[in-house]
Amino acid sequence: MHSHFYEILDSLPPCSEKLFGSASLSKLTMSISIALLSLSSPPSTLLPKTHFFFTHKPTLSLTSTRPSFFTFRASAADNGAGVSAPAATVEEPKVPEASEGSVGSNGAVEPEKVMVLTKFGDPKWINGTWDLKQFQKNGQTNWDAVIDAGSVWALKCPEELRRKWLEDNPESSSNDDPVVFDTSIIPWWAWMKRFHLPEAELLNGRAAMIGFFMAYLVDSLTGVGLVDQMGNFFCKTLLFVAVVGVLLIRKNEDIETVKKLLDETTFYDKQWQATWQDETSGGNKKE
Amino acid sequence: MLRREVLDSFLRFRAQSHGAQLIHALVTEVDVPSSPNAPYIIHHLINNSRHSLAVDVVIGADGANSRVAKSIKAGNYSCAIAFQERIKLPDDKMEYYKDLAEMYVGNDVSPDFYAWVFPKCDHVAVGTGTVCSKQDIKKYQRGIRERVKCKIKGGKVIKVEAHPIPEHPRSIRVAGRVALVGDAAGYVTKCSGEGIYFAAKSGRICGEGIVKASEGGEKVINEGDLKREYLRKWDDKYLSTYKVLDLLQRVFYGSNAGREAMVEVCGDEYVQRMTFDSYLYKRLADGNRVEDVKMVLKSIGSLIRCNIVSREMQKLY
Repeated sequence: MHSHFYEILDSLPPCSEKLFGSASLSKLTMSISIALLSLSSPPSTLLPKTHFFFTHKPTLSLTSTRPSFFTFRASAADNGAGVSAPAATVEEPKVPEASEGSVGSNGAVEPEKVMVLTKFGDPKWINGTWDLKQFQKNGQTNWDAVIDAGSVWALKCPEELRRKWLEDNPESSSNDDPVVFDTSIIPWWAWMKRFHLPEAELLNGRAAMIGFFMAYLVDSLTGVGLVDQMGNFFCKTLLFVAVVGVLLIRKNEDIETVKKLLDETTFYDKQWQATWQDETSGGNKKE
Repeated sequence: MLRREVLDSFLRFRAQSHGAQLIHALVTEVDVPSSPNAPYIIHHLINNSRHSLAVDVVIGADGANSRVAKSIKAGNYSCAIAFQERIKLPDDKMEYYKDLAEMYVGNDVSPDFYAWVFPKCDHVAVGTGTVCSKQDIKKYQRGIRERVKCKIKGGKVIKVEAHPIPEHPRSIRVAGRVALVGDAAGYVTKCSGEGIYFAAKSGRICGEGIVKASEGGEKVINEGDLKREYLRKWDDKYLSTYKVLDLLQRVFYGSNAGREAMVEVCGDEYVQRMTFDSYLYKRLADGNRVEDVKMVLKSIGSLIRCNIVSREMQKLY
């Protein structure tokens, strides 16, 4: 009923700052995930929706709505216009989509946002999951569109926006209306292509630069050439340290993070062993 | 899911019917003797008059604010606070919770724990808990009430309860001939906040250990006996359970990404079965090794994906 043309505007630079993005681990996981994923396409019966209100926002910022649960309230949008349109439906798209050339389903460009929201609602969110048929592009599912918006310019209501919406407006779940979307529906290679590959490029570049420079330095100091360096155990250890360092430490803050992580993992164990300590130390009265 | 008022009185009654002597009093202090053979003196108040009782062995089962623990200088522990409201629901709403307990996660209901709606016979208990933001507990309680608003509509609050929940064991659990059990020792698991079973079990192990070491009350026991019969047995049996739950709490409750990952992981049938078995028997359930590995890998995968989505979310606004 309401189909839009979705374009990928992949203008966001890759950004890799979390420990979980490590190259080899995610690769292993993705390859296991592909064996276990089930591509479920929920039935594309659109729930009958009477109207869709889109707001045409000339500004880039997406303002967050302030719905009140289970009450109907029409209020003016934050962009300052003073007209409010009447509420007509229960389920609405929760975020005004910023678009330059989009056309609403009814052709009208509404300057207002109607906040009559009870739940996260979206034409592509059907029966608790994203209807993959609506993400088709050239006959193939556009996975990037399922994960995210790409940028504020794009017209999408994908998983990121849904989660952001739920963070601001928490919803209760119920067994009558379960959410069955699972990020493992999106195949591993889509994740790899979109997130892992740019980061892997960055990390490999860093490792190569460090490696070349260190090999040159060692060669100039000791006269041992590259091939002979690879045969030396100490050099191989240094190489290993360099690779692990590049993987784990990507920002200056990561050094602190790694130290804290190590502390945290052993903290609970220390608390349990405390009662056995006082046999030797004569009373460990920690406050 | 039980009603403490019913359980507590049942336990007392059962102890009495097995020959225990019940003294209805408030313990104010426990005097630690200076010599190894002198008794412990328990000072208590019965109807506002002071009494003393001389005993050989003390088991401190007096909960999170244990007087016994203070007397033996067992050390402090950090506590979480659990806050709960008992709400009587209209019949049609209560029908929904006939055989359903709910658990809610999210930053709006708790920053490092979960919120719950647990049915209790004829009413529900709606509550939440937190470690790091105890002063905001009311805000989180409002959050969970908001989340389940439609499901508890028309309900009446009949009781409000709050309690500190120890996060880890005290530094000293056995000192001299005094042993601490249950919440007084800090035996509450992370992740699920389970304390009742472990309190009862530790009490039983401690009691049985004392009976065995003292040969039915004939010999005087010492600290070594208590440690051997009670602490060692306890740590050997349950330490791994505690450690795994601590790991789960740190990984899955720390952020919204972790919580989304947990919800995904828990959709799997094997995970549900393992969780249920572990929760029922309070030990790490023994499953198929291959399935275990698959479960761990799927968890890692979910965590990675949810963290990626979360990272992208930060960029949006």
